[in-house]
Amino acid sequence: MLPVPPAGCADVWWLDICTVAVGRTELAELSLQEHKRAASFAFRADRRRYTAAHVMLRRVLSGYLDIPPSSLVFRREPCPRCGKPTGRPALPFGYGVHFSLAHSGDAVVIAVAGQPVGVDVEQQPSGCVCALSADMNAADAAWGRPLSEAARHDLVIRWWVRAEAVLKCTGEGIGHGIGSFPVLGSPDGPPGPAAPGGPEQLVAATTVHGCSLVSLPAPAGYQAALALAGRGSAVRLAVRAPWSSLPRRAARAQPPG
Amino acid sequence: VSGPSTAAVADELRGVLADATGRAELRGLPLDTPLFGPAVGLDSLTGTLLLREVRNRFGVDVAAEDLNLDALATLGTLAAFIGQRAQLPAGSA
Repeated sequence: MLPVPPAGCADVWWLDICTVAVGRTELAELSLQEHKRAASFAFRADRRRYTAAHVMLRRVLSGYLDIPPSSLVFRREPCPRCGKPTGRPALPFGYGVHFSLAHSGDAVVIAVAGQPVGVDVEQQPSGCVCALSADMNAADAAWGRPLSEAARHDLVIRWWVRAEAVLKCTGEGIGHGIGSFPVLGSPDGPPGPAAPGGPEQLVAATTVHGCSLVSLPAPAGYQAALALAGRGSAVRLAVRAPWSSLPRRAARAQPPG
Repeated sequence: VSGPSTAAVADELRGVLADATGRAELRGLPLDTPLFGPAVGLDSLTGTLLLREVRNRFGVDVAAEDLNLDALATLGTLAAFIGQRAQLPAGSA
């Protein structure tokens, strides 16, 4: 059984959905609710991404809990702002395990910690994202103004994943305002891309909205961030499954369902 | 002076979604497609970008004007909501 990460630490699991076979064995591990949601996707690629991510989430958490993947039951905590059942996903009784799941493009990332954790990943969009500057905190948006358009797109996505990771850690939805606090600020300028890291690394964190926030090393073409509840000067990351651990399958792989 | 038709707005929204996601299949979305459920698989970034583009292009702040967000039910309801409120700039088609 995997140990739950101690305070200030998070385990990170990357998954390339092109490398995952989702067959009958895997589908049998999902709940009726997950099957219903998977069936409601209009496009096969979305269905496949959702299914692979949730199979992976159950298997990862199973390793920390010694509970079969199919026996895990998920619930939603109340949003700390409005009390609606839209807060952080959680396990009944908690088991002392906190987790967060994000997916974009072919990438799925799961973070596991002993304290509330939020993770986000975004594939660099093909179109212009400058319109989102209006949703940014004014201090964050100011960093983007002198940049070239390509560099600004990069910064907007870095802003988004960092803000989203914090809101997922606290359980507040983006409907309550994703730009209500700065996530890029520092006297030295905005943070650059996360440096590539080994399987274990200590990353200097910024305290944002009561969380310790770090940019997460991500696959090429993606940006990611992770937030841990509480104020800490650094977060120790342990990559349990690196992005390139499996050969990519051909894109013609059949999606489930 | 009337605003843009639902069909014209829907076409523009399809273009915004396709450009933002790089997914050409979104240019063919039927009007009755739920936008923010799982059907289209929009993530929160694309959803936020869509509403921001709506504000920039049509001058309609959907979240501020429709507190129940009923307008976001489908592509068609969003397009109709925008069409009722937006005024095309003079000279535009």
